[in-house]
Amino acid sequence: MFIHQSSCISPQSTFGNIDLDTLIAPENNILKVVEPKYENIPLNILRRMGKAVRIGVGAALPLIEKANKLDGIIIGSANGGMEDCVKFLNQIIEYDEGRLTPTNFVQSTPNAIAAQIGLTTANKGYNITHVHRGLAFENALLDAMMMLKENNDATYLLGGVDEVSSYNYNLERLGGWYKKEKITGVDLYNSQTNGSIAGEGSAMFVVNNESAGSFLEVKAIKMLHTNDSAEVAAQLNHFNDVNGPHNAWLSGENGDVRVQPFYQACENNLTGDMAILHFKHFTGEHPSTTALALWLANRFFETKKIPSHFFKSTPAEKPIGSILLYNSGKGEQHSFLSLRAVEH
Amino acid sequence: MSRVVVTGLGVISALGDSVFSNHDALVKGTCGISTGELVKSKYTESLRFGEVKIENEKLKSLLGISDPSATRTSLLALHALNEAIKDCGLDVALISGYDTALIGASTVGGMCQTDELYLDAKSETVGSAFMASYDCASVTLFLRERYGIKGVTNTINTACSSSANAIKYGTQLINNGYAKRAIVGGVDSLAKFTINGFNSLGILSPGFCRPFDKDRNGLNLGEGAAFLVLEREEDVKNKKPYCYVAGYCNSNDAFHPSSLSENGEGPYRAMKGALDLASLAPAEIGFIGTHGTGTENNDEVESRAMMRIFEKVPPFASAKSKIGHTLGASAAVEAVFSILALQHGEIYPSLNFSNPIESTGLRPVSVTQKLNLRHVMSNSFGFGGNCTSLIFSKA
Amino acid sequence: MDRDLLKTELKQHIIKYLNLLEKAPADIIDDQPLFGDGLGLDSIDSIELVVLLEREYGIKINDPKDGRKIFTSIDTMVDYIIANRTK
Repeated sequence: MFIHQSSCISPQSTFGNIDLDTLIAPENNILKVVEPKYENIPLNILRRMGKAVRIGVGAALPLIEKANKLDGIIIGSANGGMEDCVKFLNQIIEYDEGRLTPTNFVQSTPNAIAAQIGLTTANKGYNITHVHRGLAFENALLDAMMMLKENNDATYLLGGVDEVSSYNYNLERLGGWYKKEKITGVDLYNSQTNGSIAGEGSAMFVVNNESAGSFLEVKAIKMLHTNDSAEVAAQLNHFNDVNGPHNAWLSGENGDVRVQPFYQACENNLTGDMAILHFKHFTGEHPSTTALALWLANRFFETKKIPSHFFKSTPAEKPIGSILLYNSGKGEQHSFLSLRAVEH
Repeated sequence: MSRVVVTGLGVISALGDSVFSNHDALVKGTCGISTGELVKSKYTESLRFGEVKIENEKLKSLLGISDPSATRTSLLALHALNEAIKDCGLDVALISGYDTALIGASTVGGMCQTDELYLDAKSETVGSAFMASYDCASVTLFLRERYGIKGVTNTINTACSSSANAIKYGTQLINNGYAKRAIVGGVDSLAKFTINGFNSLGILSPGFCRPFDKDRNGLNLGEGAAFLVLEREEDVKNKKPYCYVAGYCNSNDAFHPSSLSENGEGPYRAMKGALDLASLAPAEIGFIGTHGTGTENNDEVESRAMMRIFEKVPPFASAKSKIGHTLGASAAVEAVFSILALQHGEIYPSLNFSNPIESTGLRPVSVTQKLNLRHVMSNSFGFGGNCTSLIFSKA
Repeated sequence: MDRDLLKTELKQHIIKYLNLLEKAPADIIDDQPLFGDGLGLDSIDSIELVVLLEREYGIKINDPKDGRKIFTSIDTMVDYIIANRTK
């Protein structure tokens, strides 16, 4: 599967004037998205959208306008429109199940993002939303790969979106998934405490089987559920044997000491001289960060440049042509992606 | 390519807690809809629901679950999953392997604990036992852990067509070599959240829902779960499968966030796409398990779309007239009903129908009849224009 | 309340309830149709307006179909509010 157009709305300068060298720091350990003006979303539609739907549709529309045809929309989002969900919940309690306004309810469903993209662009093709927490985007990606096997000439929009809402922020905070002490930039990786920094974002890709014009091929994906770091490392070795060699390792490490053993076990197991990269200081932590990591990998291949803050090891001298991406959701859900630069 | 066959079924609905009891009720034309008894809402007694009349504590003891974080949604799902796994006869050691996929679907997830969610979203210090159980994925993760399933695990939410897409995704995983077998299905439980959501849209019937009737006035919400075990036909030597998955198609109506276009473009494309994938002519479909919610919009649009495809619309019925709209579970539960129709060579009635919609004149099946079936279609359409049709055929 | 004051207040409520971005009360013309070509509202908005009347003016509309006549324009809504408000 080849990536063609891509776009990303994130806490950093990734949309419009892209600048990966300058890091925007988190505020109170939250990296919030920099929202654009959304000039191509009609006001009458924009008025009903919550943040997750806005950043999803906002990232998707410029791609769809450029694409010749689109056979479907495949989205991964663990939480969808959670802010609307809470607004509706508040109404239920506040008005004691009286007459309530339906907009929050309609917008609260996770499939509102894919549905609104379909509605806004009158796309009557395949339309699906995967919500499997830390593997929501990965399942969307696998779905796209299978759809492309069955429909060789098709082109799909693939995306991953998650927002920081007051609701999920509080639940994650109570669960101890965010750091209590303030932390910024790459200091995240030296932390010896529980939790990470919160993030949100949306990344969208136009994908098909055509290599011409693409900079990145997704060769393979593997997903895993386990609490055993040795099992993850063994599975990764097998994945690397089948799909490697890779000359860079892109790690989803997030500064949480509870999850670090998984990343470390895999890193220790890797052979050869792979460059080591990480990205959570740039995106923050949320269930769909793999989508943003994929967008970054595509950008690295396209520009043949990787800003130094992404390197955990000494920056590579040779251009990087293949990346092995490992990301873990809370040490319970794991994914490996094999990514290759397309040479033209 | 080896066909994907259905080898195990499990279901729990307002009609019963097993495939056997659901089948018995379908044949008798029983209605499972009644005033609420267990769900906590202002509307419990004034509205009617397709409620499973088993309390959470009873479900827990039946299932041997003591986990305080297990929600009703997870419990209903486990009940149906256990039955499906037992029914397919596969060794539990095989189920837990890397080549077994588990695909769940839900729209409510753990939000059936609506009041606890409200408190947890605001709490400054400590959360409830349900803190990690509100999302839809929590249900599938709960099921995965019970059997230690190691293959591709996923949760899908496309509103009311969710579990149809779980069946489709599981079939594709097998076809593409990502799994040898897939356990697929869906679940939803009644929740204050969805009762008020559908009420705010004004599409809940004050009485019993009347699918396809001229005077229909809305839907009844229901709850339940169903799972299907899918295997490769070549792996199934010593048992007779129920049927095979012949066709599926998911298409978007792209018209309105919560209602269907007049012409039913999404439903039309879903049904047409499923027929094309199955290489079937419309006339070969012997029965349609319709989406048939009983709302003014759905039933008329679905009728029109059926009339566009079928020169003569085959016998059809709405299971929602007996179990209510079980949302994320509906496609899987109704797929089980369609498969039972195929297996037993019979079609089951739609209830509460008196007069056809004037513009269509269509009448659903009114009494249980014997009918030799080869191919059945099952429709599910959801908010956001998500439309999916499935076709099951005799193996 | 003075009819003109009520009109402005109602327009403010409509902008808030329907989250009409970048619209001011003066942008909503008194006799312009609210649905279809006018403000471009749809069926979900009509339910939102039913809730607005109940919460702000204590008016209960039981059949949403009645709403469509009442919500023809600002003028028709104001007439209805004056005749039926309970708060």
